[in-house]
Amino acid sequence: MKRILTLLAVVLLGISLVGMIGLGNGKVAVVLDVGGRGDLSFNDMGFKGTDQAAVDYGLEMVEVQSATAADYLPNVRNLARSGEYDLILAVGFLLTDAVSTVADEFPGQKFAIIDGFIPDKANVMSILFRENEASALVGALAGMVATHFGYRYVGCVLGIEIPVLYHFEAGYRFGIDWGVKKYNELGLAIGADVGLLYSYTGTFSDIALGKAATEAQLAQGAAAVYNVAGPLGIGDLEAITEYHTAKGTTFGPPYYIGVDANQDYLGNGLHGIASGMKRVDHGCYNAVKSVVEGTFHGGIVSLGLAVAEGGVSISKLQDLVDFFAFGVAAGAVDEVDFYTTLANWSANRANIPPEIWEAVDELEAGILDGSIVVPTADSVQEMQAVRAQYPLP
Amino acid sequence: MSTGIPNNRLRLLERAKRALPALTPALESLLAGIVGLLVGALIMWIGGYDPWKAYVALFRGAYRDMYGFASSLARGTPLILTALTFSICMRAGMFNIGAEGQVYGGALAAVTVGYFALPSGLHIIMGLIFAMLAGAAWSLVPALLKLTRGVHEVISTIMFNWIARFFAFYLVANVLVDPIRAEKTISVPASARLPILVHGTDLSYGLFVSVFFALVIYFLLWHTTAGYELRAAGLNPTAAHYGGINSKRTVLLSFILGGLGAGLAGATIVMGLPPTYAVYSGLPQLANVGFDGMAVAMVGRNHPIGILIAALFFGGMNAGGRMMQIIAGVPLEMVRVVEGIIVVALAIPELVRLFRFFRNRWRSLWRREPA
Repeated sequence: MKRILTLLAVVLLGISLVGMIGLGNGKVAVVLDVGGRGDLSFNDMGFKGTDQAAVDYGLEMVEVQSATAADYLPNVRNLARSGEYDLILAVGFLLTDAVSTVADEFPGQKFAIIDGFIPDKANVMSILFRENEASALVGALAGMVATHFGYRYVGCVLGIEIPVLYHFEAGYRFGIDWGVKKYNELGLAIGADVGLLYSYTGTFSDIALGKAATEAQLAQGAAAVYNVAGPLGIGDLEAITEYHTAKGTTFGPPYYIGVDANQDYLGNGLHGIASGMKRVDHGCYNAVKSVVEGTFHGGIVSLGLAVAEGGVSISKLQDLVDFFAFGVAAGAVDEVDFYTTLANWSANRANIPPEIWEAVDELEAGILDGSIVVPTADSVQEMQAVRAQYPLP
Repeated sequence: MSTGIPNNRLRLLERAKRALPALTPALESLLAGIVGLLVGALIMWIGGYDPWKAYVALFRGAYRDMYGFASSLARGTPLILTALTFSICMRAGMFNIGAEGQVYGGALAAVTVGYFALPSGLHIIMGLIFAMLAGAAWSLVPALLKLTRGVHEVISTIMFNWIARFFAFYLVANVLVDPIRAEKTISVPASARLPILVHGTDLSYGLFVSVFFALVIYFLLWHTTAGYELRAAGLNPTAAHYGGINSKRTVLLSFILGGLGAGLAGATIVMGLPPTYAVYSGLPQLANVGFDGMAVAMVGRNHPIGILIAALFFGGMNAGGRMMQIIAGVPLEMVRVVEGIIVVALAIPELVRLFRFFRNRWRSLWRREPA
């Protein structure tokens, strides 16, 4: 009896020691902007990546959401003041000023920011994505699809007019132009013009505005609508679904193009043809990893198309599988619908001639080997220059 | 002295009798606050969070040290002003919901000082004046609509909030836009920023602007003829009219004073809150300042001094709410639910009082009708 008790005590001690070591490894905090969780894209991806890293490295994770923009600075500052966090991870461009200010006040505290350009501080890692590269790929696809099915326009619904979104618009414009030219080169159709309909809704949260903007673009004849406003995509997709219902079609154009996460699976995969993915989760994961492994450094980390960088990409089959699980975890889709979704998605993709998919691959290869350079824009002036170069009327 | 009670004891009783009614509101608020905290705790407990840990985080985050105290005051600063907007009109017998839109106007007007250079002190004063004028101008239209066309102020001010919102969206994105950073307006230059009062916090000299305005309003309402007329018109318009009080003047005065306050609130945000000193597209730092002010006014019993205390409490809820997330792991949505419950509980006594007041007034009107 005594021996059993001793054994039990030793085992319990062992378990508690392991537990303490596990929790004692460190703490990370993730700060979100007013967009908040539940968008199935940007913010959820930031949370997912940090959470995964916390689990893998046995860290404790604290999540802080911001009620208004006036909370950005106090939220970041409160975390830094406590001095308990190995890394404070700010997810979102709008937190740039707050991180920059607090980083000066607490030079010993490590920060990482997604999308924020803070190039010159030793304690801030700025993780930027080359969104223009992925946007060029979905743009080329949209442009070729519009030509193929005889549509006059492709559409794009964007959020608040911030430089990050200019990357998307610039790449998308280039891609559409490249795709339409390519399609004519292939001699698949007599060259019709494809224009771009785009609207900045001024919000990353008002889903109804996304729906309204999409309805307007569909009414004008858009073959596909690219969501560049996180949660607004839910409204975009709703508009596209209703448009199909009204026309009596179940799939085919007009299509939905997702953003940040792979959103092809939404709505049972009936309308999502592709997503311009921006792996915020990889960015967050790698930031935490760098702190744990001691490779953290201040300055810019730029993530693009290359597989090794894991920054951006156009969605493929494996992404559908991965992100369907993400959707299930978030409660957006039901596990039992997986095979229906997969079948719908595959049928939609098969409906588009293989030449188009090959052309998208060709563009991807061109960007990767540097023979094709996709323009980008960081200011109003640069954006206007890109618009002038690719007017797409 | 026929009662036979000694003179000094009688005086003491008199004093106690006078002090009691003044104490009742405080006791009511205390009771309402306790009920609110208990209901909030129950909801957190049902949600699977530790209410004790959460409340400790809330109160420590809000009032434990200078940093927390300053953070609370910083958030309370604009709320003092928007609460005054609501309560001035309430004192004059009107339900003004327009502070929200007037805050937008004031904030954007304050931003425009970025287009010219002035010496520091003058630049700040200019920004405050611009903001006050913009707030008052936006407030004046519903007032004039009421006076000339009989449009009810509840309807017109709600509509004006929406007009202001989308007009502000347009101005931020197209007119006042920062040419280098399209997501925001130009920033208020350093010479026009309200200096930070407590280093390392976001509390600025805007606090003094708010408190000063509250004291001015207190003096105006209770120590001047115009203020007396305003309150009289609010308490009983018929009697006030009979007494020779110009009701049009009191309507106009209360709306203008309210507009000045709400405009100032916008200024204290863009000129006083670090780090950006600009209005973001979508107005994420201005949204709800006007509406929250209404709740502050309710809790503060529509009295300038009560509002100062209530604003400190509301600011504390905000500053402490952040710590609830960080320390107790309560998600923001739950924090807001708990805050909302406490606020509603605190506002109930005043709401009941107002409801009775307006119901009696309606009854007296109906009774007069058949005659």
